Amino acid sequence: MDKIVNIKNLTINDNKNNILVNGVSLSIEKGEIFGLVGESGSGKTLTAKSIINLLPENLDYKVDLIETIGKNIVDMTKNEKRELIGKNVGFIPQNTIFFLHPMIKIKNQIGDGYIYHMNKSKKEALEKASMLLSKVGFENPDDILKYYPWQLSGGMRQRVNIAMALMNDPQLIIADEPTTALDSTIQRQVIDLFKTINEELGISIILISHDLALVKHYSNRIAVMYAGQIVESGFSDDVFQNPKHPYTQLLIKIIPTFNMKKNERLSEIPGFVQETGRGNKGCVFRFRCPKAMDICSEKVIENNIENNHYYKCNLS
Amino acid sequence: MLNYLINRIKGAVIVLFLVSIITFMVLMILPGDPAQLILGTEATPDMVKDLHVSMGLDKPYYMQYGSWLIDFLRFDMGESYLYGESVSLLILNCLPVTLSIALFSMIIATLVAFIFGVLSSVKKDSFIDYFSRSIMQLGTAIPSFWIGMVFVVFFGLRLKWFPISGYVPASENFIKFLKSITLPSVVLAIGEFGLLLRIVRSSMQESISQDYMEMARVKGLSLISIYFKYALRGAMVAPLTIIGMQFAKLVGGTTVVETVFALPGLGRLVLTAVEHRDIVLLQGLVMFITTFVILITLVVDILIMFINPRIKTFERGE
Repeated sequence: MDKIVNIKNLTINDNKNNILVNGVSLSIEKGEIFGLVGESGSGKTLTAKSIINLLPENLDYKVDLIETIGKNIVDMTKNEKRELIGKNVGFIPQNTIFFLHPMIKIKNQIGDGYIYHMNKSKKEALEKASMLLSKVGFENPDDILKYYPWQLSGGMRQRVNIAMALMNDPQLIIADEPTTALDSTIQRQVIDLFKTINEELGISIILISHDLALVKHYSNRIAVMYAGQIVESGFSDDVFQNPKHPYTQLLIKIIPTFNMKKNERLSEIPGFVQETGRGNKGCVFRFRCPKAMDICSEKVIENNIENNHYYKCNLS
Repeated sequence: MLNYLINRIKGAVIVLFLVSIITFMVLMILPGDPAQLILGTEATPDMVKDLHVSMGLDKPYYMQYGSWLIDFLRFDMGESYLYGESVSLLILNCLPVTLSIALFSMIIATLVAFIFGVLSSVKKDSFIDYFSRSIMQLGTAIPSFWIGMVFVVFFGLRLKWFPISGYVPASENFIKFLKSITLPSVVLAIGEFGLLLRIVRSSMQESISQDYMEMARVKGLSLISIYFKYALRGAMVAPLTIIGMQFAKLVGGTTVVETVFALPGLGRLVLTAVEHRDIVLLQGLVMFITTFVILITLVVDILIMFINPRIKTFERGE
C-alpha cells in the first residue's frame, strides 16, 4: 500500500537543549485512520505538526525523512511546502475557540484556501462550503456562513473546522484532540463523522488523542507515545488484545467501564510524564513502571513481533 | 448595535455637559476681572460696574452659565474682546489650518507606523525590527520645536523646498497649500508615530501568536493573506484607538508647531486667548475642542464596532 506519511527518526529539541521528541518513526498508509495516543506532554502534537510544517520556530529538529503525501518535505522550499500542505492536508485543531478568526465571518474564511489553491471564484467556494456544512450536519448551512465564529457553540465551530478541512478534498486530515472541547454527546457525532469521511472519501486521518477508548473504536492502527517516544505500535486489535508494553497495559486498564462499583475510585497511573532527560539511556517509562527492573536504567530493547506489532521494552 | 450606539451617544452628551460646567467654573475663578482688563487701568469703578452689567457679569453664576450654554448650543459663543469678532467665526477661520496639519500628520504617522510595525513584527529581531525600534524611540524623544527649527533651517532656508512659514488655503492654490503644511505635518508626525508603531508592533505580535494564524498557515495561504487578512485584522483595535486619541490631541494642541511655523491655527488662537485673558474666546475654544475630541472618540468607537463585532454583544451583557 502507498504510504501517505512517513517519518524516519524525528528528534525535536527546544532551545535549552531539552529533548521533546526522541527518535520517532512512523508511517501511515493511504485510507487508514491512525491513532496517536499518549498523555499530555508526550509529544503527539509536535510529531503531528512536523508532518505539516507547523513546528514552532523556537524548536530545533533533526530528521532523516519526513514524507507528506508521498513527498519528502525536508528539503523543500517554503513555497513548495505551503503549496503541498495547503492543497492536500486538512487540519482540525484541538481547541476550537480561536482557530477560526473571531473578527471574520465564516464565509470569508472558510473558502480562502480553496480559492487560493484551486483557483476558484468566491461563489464556487461558498457553494462548496455550503455543501460541506450540510454534510457535517448543519441544516441551515447558508445561515452558518453569515455568522461570526463566536456566535456558534463549541460543537458547531468544530464542525465548521471539519468542513473547512475538507474544502480542498485533502488526502490527509490531521485531527489533534478533535473532541476535547466538546461534550460527550457531540464527541460521538464528531468522531462518527470522521469515520464517514474516511469510509466515503478515502481520506487518511491521523487521530491524536489521550483518550484510548475513543481511538480504540475508530482507528486501524495506533501508536502509543510516552515522553517523546513511541513505546508501542501496531494494528489496533493486536495492541488492545495483546498489549506488550506496561504503559499500554496500564492505559487500557484505566479506561473506565460501566460495571464500576459506586464510590469506586477511577484508576490512574501514579506520577507524571517526565519533562527532562528524555534522551538518557534506558527506558523512559521506568520511573512509573510497575515492572521496572535494574536493567531498565541501562538499556531498552526494541521488539518486533508478528503483524508489525512493535514495542520498546525489556520484557518479552 | 443600535442600542450600543445610543448608549455611546448618551455617554458623550453627559461628558460634554460636565465639561461645560467645569470649563465655565474654572474660567470664572481665574484671577483677573475681564471688564477691568478691557477697560485698562485708567478705568473708574463706575465704568467697570457699567460694563459688568452690560456683559451680564453681575448676575449669579448659574444664570451666567445657563445663558452661556444656550448660546453655545446655537453655536453662538459670544464676541472676543481682543478681536472684536464672533468667536465662532474666529474658530472657523483657524480650524482648516489645524485640521489639515493634524490630518496630514496622522496620515504620515499611520503609514510609517503600520509599514514598520507590521514588518518588524513579521521579521522579529531582524535588521528592520531593530531599525523600527530605534526610530520609534528617536521619534518620541526629539522635542518637536527643535526638529521644527532644524527643518525650517534645512528644508526651508538652505534647500528652499518648502516655505518657512505661513499658510496657503487649499482653495487658493492646492500645491502651495500642500507645501505650506508639509513641514509642520512631518514634524508632528515624528512626535506621534513612535507610540503608534509600538502599539502596532505589539498588537501584531499578539495576533501572530494566536491560533487562527496556525490555521492560516496550514491552509497555505499567501503571505499577504496570512499577515494582512488574518494577523492585521486581529491587531487593528488598539492602533485605531490610539490613532483617534492622537488625532484628537493634535486638533487641540499643535500650539508649539503652529508657533514655530507661524501658522494661524487653533493652537495659536488658544495661546493668544490665554495671553490676553480673552475669557469668552477661551471658553469657546475649550468647548469646541472638547466637543471635537469627544466626537472623534465616538467615531473611533463606531469604527471599532465594525472591526470587532463582538463588542456589540459584550455591551448587551450577553
